[in-house]
Amino acid sequence: MPDSLNPTAVSTASSLGQPVRFRGGGFTVKRHPWAALAAFAVLIALWEGASRLGLASPLFLPPPSAVGHALVGMVTDGSLWLNLKASLGRIAVGWVLGTAGGMLVGFAMGIFSTARAVGVPLVSAFFPIPKIALLPLFILWFGIGEPSKFATIGFGVFFPTVIATYSAIDQVPRNLIRMAQSFGLPWRSILRSIVLPGALPGILAGFRITASIALILVVAAEMIGAEYGIGAFVLMAGNLMQTDTLLAGVLVLSLLGLAIGTVLSQLERRLLNWR
Amino acid sequence: MTLARLTRRAVIATAGAAFAAGIPMSAALAQPLEKATVGVLALSSSGPIFIAKAKGYFEKEGLDVELKMFTSAQQVPVAVTSGDADFGVTGLTAGFYNLASKGAVTIIAAQSRDEPSFPLSAYLATNAAFDAGLKTPADLKGKRIAITTVGSTFHYMIGLLAQKHGFTVKDVTMVPLQDVPKMVAAFKGGQVDAIIAPSTVSRQLVADGAGKMLGWVGDETPWQLGALFTAPKTMKDRRPLVEKFVRAYKTALAEYHAAFNGKDAAGNLVKGPGYDELLGIIADATKQKPDIVAAGLPYVDPQARLLVDDIVNQVKFWQSEGQVDKALDPKSVMDLSIAGQ
Amino acid sequence: MRLLVSDLTHRYDDLTVLDGIDLTLAEGEILAVIGPSGCGKSTLLGIAGGIVAPSSGSIRVEGEVPDGCLNPITFIFQDFALLPWRSVEDNVGLVLEHHPLSAAERRERIDSGLRRMGLWEFRQALPKQLSGGMRQRVGIARALAVRPAMLLLDEPLSALDAQTRELLMDDFLELWRREKTTALYVTHNLDEALRLADRVCVLSRRPGRIRELVTIEEPRERRQEPSAQAHLAEVRDRLWHLMKAEAQMADREIARA
Ligand SMILES: Nc1ncnc2c1ncn2[C@@H]1O[C@H](COP(=O)(O)OP(=O)(O)OP(=O)(O)O)[C@@H](O)[C@H]1O
Ligand SMILES: [Mg+2]
Repeated sequence: MPDSLNPTAVSTASSLGQPVRFRGGGFTVKRHPWAALAAFAVLIALWEGASRLGLASPLFLPPPSAVGHALVGMVTDGSLWLNLKASLGRIAVGWVLGTAGGMLVGFAMGIFSTARAVGVPLVSAFFPIPKIALLPLFILWFGIGEPSKFATIGFGVFFPTVIATYSAIDQVPRNLIRMAQSFGLPWRSILRSIVLPGALPGILAGFRITASIALILVVAAEMIGAEYGIGAFVLMAGNLMQTDTLLAGVLVLSLLGLAIGTVLSQLERRLLNWR
Repeated sequence: MTLARLTRRAVIATAGAAFAAGIPMSAALAQPLEKATVGVLALSSSGPIFIAKAKGYFEKEGLDVELKMFTSAQQVPVAVTSGDADFGVTGLTAGFYNLASKGAVTIIAAQSRDEPSFPLSAYLATNAAFDAGLKTPADLKGKRIAITTVGSTFHYMIGLLAQKHGFTVKDVTMVPLQDVPKMVAAFKGGQVDAIIAPSTVSRQLVADGAGKMLGWVGDETPWQLGALFTAPKTMKDRRPLVEKFVRAYKTALAEYHAAFNGKDAAGNLVKGPGYDELLGIIADATKQKPDIVAAGLPYVDPQARLLVDDIVNQVKFWQSEGQVDKALDPKSVMDLSIAGQ
Repeated sequence: MRLLVSDLTHRYDDLTVLDGIDLTLAEGEILAVIGPSGCGKSTLLGIAGGIVAPSSGSIRVEGEVPDGCLNPITFIFQDFALLPWRSVEDNVGLVLEHHPLSAAERRERIDSGLRRMGLWEFRQALPKQLSGGMRQRVGIARALAVRPAMLLLDEPLSALDAQTRELLMDDFLELWRREKTTALYVTHNLDEALRLADRVCVLSRRPGRIRELVTIEEPRERRQEPSAQAHLAEVRDRLWHLMKAEAQMADREIARA
């Protein structure tokens, strides 16, 4: 029935004509470079305010000023650098060892089906073992010096690297390998010129994960007889119930994570500019 | 029906028990029990608490005390600070004094202590270190010693030893390994020269031939290992509760002391009254075999008296190590007004 | 170079894809292969290029290879198969890397191909910066760099738009005018076959058998002229007739499967 229609809609549509209403807004990603900083600033201000007003006990939630003070203390007495140096050394060596081993095994598993058949169940079996549970064994195997710390980080990094590497090799487009074969490229050239660069995006994505794992595990690694190190520092602050120092150490760890993430982003931008 | 009868019988039984204990029946029946929680570790050093609970001394005081089990000494004062437990009993660490310096906990009575001829913690040398001349605790100067963490009781025991023999903790290399299993692993692997270990672990290591015992900490440097503590706020706002708790605790403490800490004229330990019953209670609570428990029962003061001088020494030691705020007055970490000392 | 295929059959497990193919490619001949989707055209090309092992039958080549030929049988791919992380010139250089060439010769082979394909200004560009047509030109330059005796082209233009296709067909015509390289050219597109091929091989639906071999009498150079159109239209009709029947049946089989 015509009179059941909305009379205004009918009249405007037929007589006036109307501008097309824009309805394509939202659902897009825009860059808001200051939003994150502002959110941080507000959060920190609220936190500080709550402490100042006595809403949060300084023991339970030390105010940012106390954390900052502890951090400044670490910088001025030189302990920050000492701890950072010790941890960075361990992270670097442990990560490099784990990554080298993981990539070697990952490549073998990506390329040789026998290695894959043997490797996949082994990786599945060993990957989920919490490395912290193995610390007493690591002490017996590697002692309490640096080797056991390298081993803790290295083992933690090894398995995700294996998985990232062989999955990355699976992602290398088969048509490129076929192409290379059709031009008679030898096996080694195919590996070097196609498989390796083709797997690089996946391997670099793995680096992002393993770098975070290395940071997490440095705390576990430094449970074993470490005099210096950010992990040892955080553990000690926790044991001593010095919560402001504890948070200062945690802050250093997350800044370290941020720094490593930035370096990796740069590396990706450099190496993967072809994407 | 059955339920009603059962309840009636239960009431009669309770009344009978109350009468027998000399408490006015009306008091026991009229008031519901006041609830309180205490944080403990499942170790025989918490024995008096287990005894007070099992033998109903808390109930007699009108308290319904719940035991909260923790796995490390660091956690107990934190639980008291956060209000998850009203009381705590454990070993005293630098972390404890840091909480005390922030006004979160205060010592109200003694727990166990290292006392001569009571086997609680031992100095152990690896066979290699022993053969190389590490024969007595005094020889530990200059050696590598595994500890759990910086600020732990092990750290302090080394400090005490150093004080006694005229060196400092700087003269030894302390290797923090977080927990006793890792210390044992490092010891067995020859990564350190020595450890200080609890009695059961020590005896096992010696029995396994993994090392030699150099002596007991109690013989070398007696000290106040543990304490009963609460939050200053509880002390202020719920003083009657604290009084009742301490009364029950002291009853159990005296009973524990009589059963386990008595000596004959020759200085040998003798079994006191109720030995087997109390041992059974502790074995139950710690889930250990009675003979293992019996081998490592620590000394407690029957009146819960604290070694005040040692507490002061502890605070000063941690302050000199830079682990506790220098502004903390050692006397302020304890409030012994209720324990009566 | 000549290609001789005799009684070639290929199975993937239980699926027979090619059945009893007999085919001879003369020196310098361009043979277009058409047929319904899934009838085994790519498989045939793969077997001819030595990257698929045939189940039975034989496939051989005979004859001279040109001077400086490094890879007698060379593919040009539908999806171009360029390494995305290499520049245009390095993509061409890839196929020379394992050959012992002097630096000058290597340079010459790369540069001449790039120049011929009009890619000289883009030699430093990455594939992602190129249009589809340009990418296929890189593929052609890469093939030319090894001085092939026979080209195997698997739908080389089907990923491109119509205009680009026209332009590249001109490039192929130019190439065959100069080089006389034998070629097997797989396509779905009758226009391509009619423009480029000497003969057209129509395959049946799977399992692929040769339905018919149609010769286009008109020489390639004259096919744009008005006089050639009548003949081309006639061939086109014939091919379309053959294709349509096979394609319809193949379509129904797919629907039923
Ligand atoms: N590696 C393989 N393993 C199993 N089956 C395959 C394999 N490659 C192709 N096939 C199957 O063999 C048949 C022929 O494949 P082929 O790629 O040769 O067909 P085609 O004629 O090139 O088809 P299109 O026109 O779609 O490119 C198809 O049904 C395909 O699914
Ligand atoms: Mg195909």
